[in-house]
Amino acid sequence: MTYIGAEVIISPLGRTTAENWAAISANQSGISLVKQAGFDNADLYLSKMLDLIDDYKFEKLLLDALAAVSEQIDPAILTSDRTMVIISSTKGELDSNIHDQFGKSIAALVSKFALVNQPIVLSNACISGVLAINAASNFIQAKIYDHAIVIGCDLISDFVVYGFQSLFAISNKPCAPFDAARNGITMGEGCSAVMVSNSKETFRNGALQLLSGTSANDANHISGPSRTGEGLFRSVKRTLENNQVAPEDIDFVCAHGTATVFNDEMEAIAFDRIGLSDKHLSSLKGYFGHTLGAAGVIETAASMQMMRHGVLVKSLGYTESGTSKKMNVISDNVVSQPKTILKTASGFGGGNASLIIRSL
Amino acid sequence: MSFITTYCHLSADQCLVNGEVICKRERSSADSWFKQIYKEQEFVYPKFYKMDALSQAGFLASELIKRANQGFASRYKDDEIAMLFANQSSSADSDLRFKHSYEHNGAPSPSLFVYTLPNIVLGEIAIINKWYGENMFAVLPKFAPGFFVDYGRILLSTGAKAILCGWLGILGDNIEVFVCLIENEPDSGLDFNSENLLELARFQSVITN
Repeated sequence: MTYIGAEVIISPLGRTTAENWAAISANQSGISLVKQAGFDNADLYLSKMLDLIDDYKFEKLLLDALAAVSEQIDPAILTSDRTMVIISSTKGELDSNIHDQFGKSIAALVSKFALVNQPIVLSNACISGVLAINAASNFIQAKIYDHAIVIGCDLISDFVVYGFQSLFAISNKPCAPFDAARNGITMGEGCSAVMVSNSKETFRNGALQLLSGTSANDANHISGPSRTGEGLFRSVKRTLENNQVAPEDIDFVCAHGTATVFNDEMEAIAFDRIGLSDKHLSSLKGYFGHTLGAAGVIETAASMQMMRHGVLVKSLGYTESGTSKKMNVISDNVVSQPKTILKTASGFGGGNASLIIRSL
Repeated sequence: MSFITTYCHLSADQCLVNGEVICKRERSSADSWFKQIYKEQEFVYPKFYKMDALSQAGFLASELIKRANQGFASRYKDDEIAMLFANQSSSADSDLRFKHSYEHNGAPSPSLFVYTLPNIVLGEIAIINKWYGENMFAVLPKFAPGFFVDYGRILLSTGAKAILCGWLGILGDNIEVFVCLIENEPDSGLDFNSENLLELARFQSVITN
C-alpha cells in the first residue's frame, strides 16, 4: 500500500497549509485585478503572490515547501538514500535562466537539505502534478525508493501571461469553471508539496491512502481538448479498474476545470461517459487560478485537506450549468466525510491524468 | 524480459538508424538540417513544417524507427505503447524564439507559444499514430540511462507493452538525440538495461548512478 500526507500549500491565499485551508473553506479567492500585468499593459485578473519580489522566487518556494514537509515527517527521511524528490513544473526559474530552467534551484535544494538522490523534474504541461504523484507512487511500489516528495511549483511571468493572452485564453473576470458564462482561465502561481511513502507511521498528522493512477493521451490536438474526452475517459477508466474502484465508490471529484469553454465541456462529456455525472464535483481554479505545473499538486493537497476537515468546498465562480452534459458541481460548501476522491488533470500536448485518494 | 529492438540517432550532421548512417547534413543547403532529413527520406506530413525543432526531432526519429521495424505498432493496442522522453534544457530552444517574438517582433506569437512545453512532442507523435498510452517528459541534468530503465520497467509492469524512449537534446545547433523502441516480446534485440542504453546512446556526458 502507498500512503500520502504531509501536504503543503503556499499560494496567494497564505504561506501555510492552515492559512490556505482557512481561506478556501471560507470561499476566499487568491484572484485580484493586477494593474498593467498583460502585454501592452493590460490589467488582468491573476492569482499572484504580490509580496513575492526577490530574484530567486522559484528556488525560495521550493526550499520553503520542502522545509514545511520536513516538519511533518520523520526528519531522517530527507537525507535517506531511499528517498527521492520529484519537481513538477512547466517553466521553473525561466525568468532568471531560460537556458537551464531548473538547475540552480535544484542544486540549492540538494545542498540545503543534503539530498542523496538527484531530484528529477517532470514537465508535462498542466498534468505534471498529478503525473508526478503517480510517478512517486510507481517508484515506491517498484521498491526503487521508499519515500518520494513531490513539489509542484510554477510562477506567473510575462512569458506565460503573454502566451496565454496570445491564445485569447485569459478570462476578463475571475475564472468561472463549468459556469454558463465562463470565458477563459485566470493564471495563478504557487507551490505545493506532498510526500508519498510505503510507511504510514512517518506522517506526524496522519496519512491517507494513495491509489496510484494512470495517464492517457488524447491523440487529438496539441493545444485543444478532445471533443469526446477520450484521453480523460481512458485515464479515469483505467485508474478505477486498476484499483478495483467502481464509479459509484467515488464520493468527490476534484476536476481540472480551467474555465475555458472547450476544456470544461470536454470534462463534462468524459465524466458522463464514465458514470460520474451525479458525483459532487469542484474545480479549485476559482481559488488558486491555474497554476500550470503546480496545479495537480496544489489541488490534490487541497482535496486532502477537504478529506481531513470533512468539508467539500464549493466550485468558486459557478452559478449556472454551462456544459452539454449535466454535472453535480458544488455551489455551496458540503459537510461530508468523503472516503474516496478522484483527482483529474488535462493539458496541452493532449495529456490527461488521474489518481484516487482514500481515507484510512 | 524486454528488449531494445530499434534505435535512431540525430546529431548535428548525421542521422543514423540502428547505428547505420542514413543521411548526412549538407551544410550549404538552404534547408534546416531536420528539413533535409524530411525531404531526403520522402516523408509526407505537412504539419512537420509547423513544428518546432523538438517536435521535428521526435517526428523524424519515431517515423524512422517505424520504417526500420515495419508493422511493430500493429502488434499492440492503441494504449499499450507508452512514451518516455527527457532532455536537459526542456523547451528552451522554442522558449527563446517565443520570448524574441514579444520583445523584438511586436507581439507574442501564439504559434510559437504552443511549443514552449517540452511534452508537446509527445502529443505530436500520439496524434500521428493515434497512440493513447502513458506519456512522460522529464528534465534531467544529463542523459541518465538508469532513469529510462527504472521508469521504463515500471511502465512495462503497469500495462504498457512497448515504449518509445527518447533523449531529445536540442538547443540551437547542439543536437544530441537518441530515441529507441523497447518491446516485451520481439524476435531479437538487446536486453533493456542501463549498460546497453549507455553504449547505444554514445553520449559524452551521462549520469550513470
